[in-house]
Amino acid sequence: MNRPRLFTSFLALASLLLGLLILLPIIALLLASSPGELLELLFQHQVQQALWITLLSSLLALPPIFLLGLPAAYGLSRFSGRLRRLFDALLELPMVMPPIVAGLALLLAFGRRGLLGNLLADIGLRIPFTLLAVVIAILFVVTPYFVRRCTLLFDGVDHKLEDAALLLGASPFQTFTHVTLPLVQRNLAAEAIMALAQGIGLFGTVILFAGNLRGRTQTLSLAIYTAFESDPQQAFGLGALLLLISLLLLTAVKFIAPQEPVR
Amino acid sequence: MMILDCRLQYPLAEFELVIELSVRPGVTVLLGPNGAGKSSLLRLLAGLIKPRAGRIKLGDRLLFDAHKKIDLPPEQRRIGMVFQDLALFPHLDVQQNIAFGLRVRRQSQAEIKPQVDRLLDKLGISLLAERNVTTLSGGERQKVALARTLITDPLLLLLDEPTAALDPSARGAIRRWLHQVLGEFQIPTLLVTHDAEEVAWFRKRVAVIEKGQIVQRGSYHQLLREPQSDFVARFAGINLISGEVIEQGLEKSFHSAGGTRLQGLFGSALPGPATLAVAPWEVMLFAEPPGGSPQNVIPGQVSERIVLGDRVRVTLLGKEKLVAEISLRAWEQMGSFDTGTKLHAVFKAREARILNN
Repeated sequence: MNRPRLFTSFLALASLLLGLLILLPIIALLLASSPGELLELLFQHQVQQALWITLLSSLLALPPIFLLGLPAAYGLSRFSGRLRRLFDALLELPMVMPPIVAGLALLLAFGRRGLLGNLLADIGLRIPFTLLAVVIAILFVVTPYFVRRCTLLFDGVDHKLEDAALLLGASPFQTFTHVTLPLVQRNLAAEAIMALAQGIGLFGTVILFAGNLRGRTQTLSLAIYTAFESDPQQAFGLGALLLLISLLLLTAVKFIAPQEPVR
Repeated sequence: MMILDCRLQYPLAEFELVIELSVRPGVTVLLGPNGAGKSSLLRLLAGLIKPRAGRIKLGDRLLFDAHKKIDLPPEQRRIGMVFQDLALFPHLDVQQNIAFGLRVRRQSQAEIKPQVDRLLDKLGISLLAERNVTTLSGGERQKVALARTLITDPLLLLLDEPTAALDPSARGAIRRWLHQVLGEFQIPTLLVTHDAEEVAWFRKRVAVIEKGQIVQRGSYHQLLREPQSDFVARFAGINLISGEVIEQGLEKSFHSAGGTRLQGLFGSALPGPATLAVAPWEVMLFAEPPGGSPQNVIPGQVSERIVLGDRVRVTLLGKEKLVAEISLRAWEQMGSFDTGTKLHAVFKAREARILNN
């Protein structure tokens, strides 16, 4: 009996320390600014701009994330073999890439002197240092995680339900839209919010590929970075603001995602 | 007349499924032990998995032909299948589940509604229409699953162990219902089961599948009377005595593992390990060993005695274990013996079939 009790105490202690590690900084950040200060921040034009760009870019990234990510995730979940493993590995690439490096890579692909530079210049499209660049950066970083999670989601859908739909005369596409998607719709809504939350916090990739142009590409994260150099108190306030937004999204996810596994 | 004709080959883990089968309107029962390939056969017919070779023809439509490279996808085969766990759509209510097949055929709500109502009415489940499928009982789920399939007018119906998931008390009612509904629709139906009672309900046409092959075909009666394999005999509650066929010159004889020499019909049995099968109702019981025509006599002690209406099932334990089924009157005439009584079990050589294992 002695050993298990010791082990249990160890588990409890580790969990406690981890909890503190997470909670302490969060509390510190929230205590750094008064509610009045936070409210005041919201009325500053510059902050409003950054907030707007943050939300807009993340929202704009959502449709392409779904459009590219959902079919990929469904395909991955329904097919196996070498091709699946290859694509799986491909998805891991952006996940292990340092964000700064991802920014550089995007610049070299879509920049003026990049691989697609001439092509894009010909059609009059300049991507770097625009809102579009922010969106592409989000797309690049967030989509693989989205696909990963959605693949697991689709894995959890009972294949028999899809077989039953086919045998009732539904085409594979109808089966996807009438059976598979409705079964995971709540989880997908939660995934959308997760993607939003992830996009809102992006920093390294965005600053390299989209720059830090106030009113054009400066998101809240970038505004914090700028403020930190001149006015740390402002940075703390903005940080608390961003944190509150993330907490809000997290709460939404917890409310929307069903507690039971999909069947 | 709509008839399914199929000839299929499909490799399974331990053996190859090699099936030749035709299914006519009405119910054909596919009986077999677990792992015999029953469910695989259904999935092959449905087009959910692809045969290695062969042909599937339904009426005059070719659904699959390995040579002609024809392989219709499941949604074009017009085959209805009721899965063992039913696979009702949990995000739809009963009506919507049933309407599914019509909705994906792009029928309008105005066309769908009366058809669903009519079918619900015909199957006697109108009251369930607006229920959430997750709140239905097992029997109700079974009915909804069948309705969902029937509304698409399938040309062939596949039922995978339709009562296996139900609790035993609900099985009888559902079997009766199924029997009645399937009788009305007269669709060629392949009903997979390993349950004796189910076979008794649909007894006209039974095919037995073992290790991926159809080993016997006929009515339930024929199966009981002339079991052609171990499984069928065991299934029918028939006595099985394992032993060996020994050939001496032109004479064949059967020696049980317990060391008794017995007479029987050898048919095509070859020398080697074999089983002797004799039906309980062919075994007579005597206090003293009788003489006369070539008979097998096995002495033993009554270990169990069950009165079943006007029949008595007696288990006799000696060198062999034998179950005899005698009439209540015969039992009474023998003094209504109890367990522990020493008796002789007797059966004629021509009632004992010897089967190779």
